Formats: sequence, structure tokens, C-alpha cells
Amino acid sequence: MSVMTPAGDYRESYHADMCIFPTRNSRWAMLVGLALCCAAPLVLDRYALSLMINIGMLGIAALGLNILVGFTGQISIGHAAFFGFGAFASAGFADLGVPVLLAMPLAALATTAVGLVFGLPAARLKGLYLVIATLAAQFILEDFFARAQWFSGGVAGRVTDAPNLFGVALDTDARYFYVVLLWVVLSFCAVANLVRTRDGRALIAVRDHYLSAEMMGVDLAYYRTLSFGIASFFAGLGGALYAHYLRFVSVEAFTILFSIQFLAMVIIGGLGSVMGSLLGTCFMVLLPEVVQAVADALQGGAIDRALKLGSSIAFLREMTIGAAIILFLVFEPEGLARRWRLIKAYWKLYPYSY
Amino acid sequence: MNTLMRGLLGLAGGIALAVSASAQAPIPVAHLADRSGATSDVGVPYAQGVDDTLAWINRAREGVDGWPLEVNTIDYGYQAPRAVSQYQAWMSRLKPVAIQGWGTADTEALISFVTRDQVPYISGSYAAALTDPTGKATKAAKATPFNFFYGPSYSDALRAMLMWARKDWDARGQTGKPKYVHMGANHPYPNSPKAAGEALARELGFEVLPPIVFALTPGDYTAQCLTLKNQGANYAYLGNTAGSNISVLRACQTVGAKVQFLGNVWGMDENAMKAAGVAADGVVFPVRTATVWGQEAPGIATLHQVSAISDPAGTAYRPVHYLAGVCSAMLMVEAMETAGANGGAIDGPRVRDGFYARKNWVPRGFEGVCAPSTFTPEDHRGTMTVQLYRAVVTGDTTRGSVAELIGKGTIGLQPVAKIELQRRQDWLGW
Repeated sequence: MSVMTPAGDYRESYHADMCIFPTRNSRWAMLVGLALCCAAPLVLDRYALSLMINIGMLGIAALGLNILVGFTGQISIGHAAFFGFGAFASAGFADLGVPVLLAMPLAALATTAVGLVFGLPAARLKGLYLVIATLAAQFILEDFFARAQWFSGGVAGRVTDAPNLFGVALDTDARYFYVVLLWVVLSFCAVANLVRTRDGRALIAVRDHYLSAEMMGVDLAYYRTLSFGIASFFAGLGGALYAHYLRFVSVEAFTILFSIQFLAMVIIGGLGSVMGSLLGTCFMVLLPEVVQAVADALQGGAIDRALKLGSSIAFLREMTIGAAIILFLVFEPEGLARRWRLIKAYWKLYPYSY
Repeated sequence: MNTLMRGLLGLAGGIALAVSASAQAPIPVAHLADRSGATSDVGVPYAQGVDDTLAWINRAREGVDGWPLEVNTIDYGYQAPRAVSQYQAWMSRLKPVAIQGWGTADTEALISFVTRDQVPYISGSYAAALTDPTGKATKAAKATPFNFFYGPSYSDALRAMLMWARKDWDARGQTGKPKYVHMGANHPYPNSPKAAGEALARELGFEVLPPIVFALTPGDYTAQCLTLKNQGANYAYLGNTAGSNISVLRACQTVGAKVQFLGNVWGMDENAMKAAGVAADGVVFPVRTATVWGQEAPGIATLHQVSAISDPAGTAYRPVHYLAGVCSAMLMVEAMETAGANGGAIDGPRVRDGFYARKNWVPRGFEGVCAPSTFTPEDHRGTMTVQLYRAVVTGDTTRGSVAELIGKGTIGLQPVAKIELQRRQDWLGW
């Protein structure tokens, strides 16, 4: 294990090539980061924790979408519907008496099944046609949620329970944070390793050039459907975490706008980057908060009066999200993950960058 | 340099002000408003009424028992999940003593939260499911000890309208069974009084037709009106807010459906009359306040002071929902005053008890504006009196503001009946 990365490619084995943390420092940084996360509930207030929890559960779902969009080169604008399915399914399992912590992965599996069904057209379609097919999935599921009283509580939504571990209710932000952290670590480790396996490479091959992949013996239909299944699994898991955190699930949350937000997360974070999924989610969760803070600061101030913003100042939030997506697509199409690599490289080579 | 110094001085002054303000420990109040969502047509004037009242309390009465109110108003776009996450954000930072809420879906979703956290929640939703504080009523879903609202519940208002409709049917000398139909979106708010209305309609000898669904947002509802016409409905309940009801009224006028529409409390107002034109003529709907804007009453002067908060020129016409917002905010303020009287702590449980302190409660200074309410620990139906008005539109409403049209008599609100419902125990909670 080297301390520094060499200035050149000197890797001699596949093992060395696929190393996730190539230097000792990067390994330490990961462990220290994890330890800091574990200590977060001890120092942060409820508000900061709730933001981190949101980043965690949305990040898991965004990771799923990144497998589909970033690694396999497919597209889905129905991700929020799968997220919602996981949320309702987990609430349903919990009502049937399954412990909540077990209901979450069960719900993720149920969502996988649904995702595989809706992923079937993906085996044959691509591009715009696939967009329309997933759009249909979004609307079919949304309508199902609104009408299936037994499953979703209909339009009134359903109230869910907090998870319980050996009699301790995980109903505070501080406790729930660990549940989310555990799933985030598991999910991101799983996906980081998935892309190093044969199946993971097959997905990337499908993305890079489907014809070449097929000639190499990659079963296109199988892997396209599989990636839908995996994406749905993480969407369902994120949804289940959401259901038991908010403790209220309603069809109103899982609109197409939410699906687009997931797409925005992976685009801003970086397509085909595991870490990018988390960075993009951080960005999307924190951006509205920052804008809100700015809006609050502007409220009643000179700019507010000059532009007559008044009560519409709150809409700055929505507008900024839209603007952020456009700006990223224009100036940093490879997302925050690439920006992060550039920043790292800059400091690593400072002051002799080449 | 000079400007820098001045800036620094200003900054120091600002900090000093902030410090002195925080020394007074304001009472945190949260306000969830719909200014951009599906019900924003009526949500905007209602929220303005609430905000103006609370600002006026701070200005004219120096807050509640000398403590200023710190009001945090958030537009949640009528999305229940956003309301729930906003609630959780509030409980972690602002820790409000009481909350002014809005829609039915979000208020019902928050029942278990506000009960757990003991925060009185004054909603813009009048769902009967919010009226049973003990949960003992046979048809109540759950106990709602911290939920309050100003006015008759949706179910009670519909019951009153059906009673009026029955008399109207007989008075018009009609024979046979009148046909009643429930119309509204598939959403908790329009659905709320459906079962109660249909049950009473059967009891009163109506023929109940299958409900007709139309969305909460404006659209083309010609198909719905054709159904209405073909079924031969005589009385139709409009469960949505004004904006979407306008679309139905206009479509039904075009189609030529001869139906007596019964609007819900949020289903009709002066703005809607202007927008719908003669299509709105004849709609019967409940008005929650004792007066409407422009009438005379002892409390009107106070109401004008409140209105001047956001309209210093005094030219705005305030629709019925603004007045309802004023009254529900005033109930909360006076319940807080009761809690804080004699140096008591202003906290959730004591504010809730403040709602029980008075009988036939009309907020001080709003006599003749707000209708009397009575809350008890067993029954949160604030009133069983339902005042029905009829929308009167006589001509073209496209020119002129609402105030001008009312002044000219082109549009108006005509009192129809005042129905006193029995406080029946079997009507509690649904």
C-alpha cells in the first residue's frame, strides 16, 4: 500500500487496477469520515441531522438511478414511483406485523419485482421510447397509489411507525440517523463492488456500445432488465427509509417532479460515479436550504423592496433548482464527482500542476 | 471610509436591536399556508387574514399578554408530505406553541404528531374527523384533542344545506324524490363530508346518485356536466375550492344543466362570482362569519384596522375567506391570552385549555364579525349554526373590480337561511 499515487500508471495486476482506495491516506480518510458520521448525532442539532437523513435516503435512491442511467445508459423518469412503492410496501409489511427494520429490505425486494415488470420494455426500447415507457410506469403507479385503498390508504395517505430495535423506538432523528447511515454504507459498498464484477462490467459495456457488448456475448435484454431491477431495489429501500422517517406516506409526494429531481441528482453528481450520487443528493438537498436562508435574509430588505418580491420570494427556491441543473449541464456535464477529482488533483500537484 | 464606518455602526445597531428583541422572548407561532397549490385560490385570502391579524396583534395590542408573536409562515403548495416535513422542521427549530394550518390531507396526517407533541393546531380544514377530542364517538377515526377550527364542519354545513334543500324542494311545489349528487375531486377534502351528506340525504328522502369526480384544479368539466344533466340531478354539492368550481359552473351553464348547486365553505366567494359571472348565480353556500365585507357591525372598525396591515390605502375588498382567517387567528390569540393570564405559561396544553374557557365565544373587538364558537373537552364542533347565503350575479362581471361590482350590485351575497343543527352525538366525528 503506497502513501502517494505514482505519477504514471504502474499497476501490474487486475487487483491493483480495481482498488477503490488506492492510498493509505484515502483509506484513513474513509475511516475517519465514517467515524465522524457516527459521532454526528452527538454534536449536531435536529435540523442538521434531518438534512443528513434526507441526504442518506434520497442518496440511496439516487444511487439506484445512477446504476440505470450512469452505468447502463438507460433512462427512467419513473424513479419516484418506485421510491413511493417501496414506501407504501414497507408501511404495509410493518402493518402486517413484520418488524420495521425487516420490512425495509422486504419492501426493497418487492419494489425490485415491480421494477423488473416495468423494466421489461427497457429490454427492447432505448432513448426517447424508453423515456415514454418509464413515464407510463410513473403514471400507472401513481394512479394505483391514489386508488388502492388497501395498499396506500388512497388519497388520504397512511401513517407509519418508527422502527424498533429490541424495545428501543428509533423515533428520534439521532437514532434514525444510524439506521440510515447503516443502509447508506451497505448500499454504497455494494454498488462500488458491483461495478467491479463481471455483471457490473457488462452493464458498462451495454452503456458504452450496445452492439459491441452484444458481440462480446453480453445478453442485452437480461442486463437492461437487471439494471432496472437493481435501480428499483435501491429506490424501494430509499422509499422505505423515507416512510418510516416521515411516518406519513401519501401519493402526493411521488410525482413526476420528484422523478426529475432524482435525475437532476445523478446529473449534477456525475453520471456513472458512485460517490457522485451522494454528492448530487447533497447538492439537491442543501440547495433549497441555502436559498431559503438567502430568501429569509432578503425578506424585507432593500433588494426585496426594489424588486417587489414580497411573498413570492419563496419561489426563488424552485427557480434556483432549475437554474442549477441548466448551469451544470452547460459547465460541468460530468458533475460534482469530476469537479471533486479536479480539486483533489489541484492540491495534490500544487504548485506544480501540469 | 465614512461609508464603512456607517456600515459598521449600522451593523452594531442591528445586533443591539436583535439582542434586545430576543430578550423579550417572542411566542413562536407557525403558519402553514397554501399560496401556490391546488387550493391557493382561497388559500391566499385566508392566509392573508391570518397573517394580518397576527401582525396587527403585535402592533396594536403589543402581542399576547405583552409577549410579541413570532410568526413563521410557509407556503407548502397543498402537498401533505411537505406539510409533514415542514412540521418536523418546525418542531426541531422554532418549537411553535400553536400552529395555524390549512388543508384536510395534511391536517389529518398531522393529527398523531400534534397530539404527541401537544401543539394546538387550528386548521383551515373543517373536516368532521377533527372534531372528536376523545375518540369515543362511534364513527370517529381517532381522537383529535389538539385540533380546532373556526366554523361549522364540512359535514355539518352539508347537512344544513341538505335540510334547506329539502324545504326548498317542497316550497317550490315539486313532487317526487329530489335527486342529490356529491361532486368533487378524489381527495380527502372533498371526500370528507361525502358519507355524512349521502346518509342524511337518504334520511331526508333524496335519491342519492353516484358521485361525480372533477379535479381540484380548473379544467374542462363538460363531461361531468353532461352526466349531471343526463342523471337529472336536482341538488349537487360542490366539494372543491372556488377556482375549480368556477369551471364546473361555467361548463354546466353551457350544457344547460338545471341544478341547484350547494357550494362548500371554500367553494364560493366574491372573487369566484366575478370569475364565473352569471353561471355562479343562485349557488347556495355557507358563510362562516356573522358579516361579510361592506356590511355594518360593531366589530367592523377593528376588522378594518386588521385589513390596513396589508392594505394601508384601505381600498381592498376582502372576501369571506379573509374574514374567516381573521376569526380563526383571533381564536388562537385569545386562547393564548387565557393561557398566559396571571403569569401562566403559554404552552400547548394550556393554550388548548384556553379554547375551552369561554362559551359562545366571540373574540374581543370582533363582535358581529366572528360568529360565536363553543369548544368543550368532549366536543370540538365549534358551532352548529350554519348561515346560508346565495350568490347573486345579475349581469356582466368582466369589467370592474370586485369592490366596484359589489357597489353596483352586479354581484352580491344574499342571506337565505340560518340553520340550527342539533348537536347530535351520533354526528360527532364524521
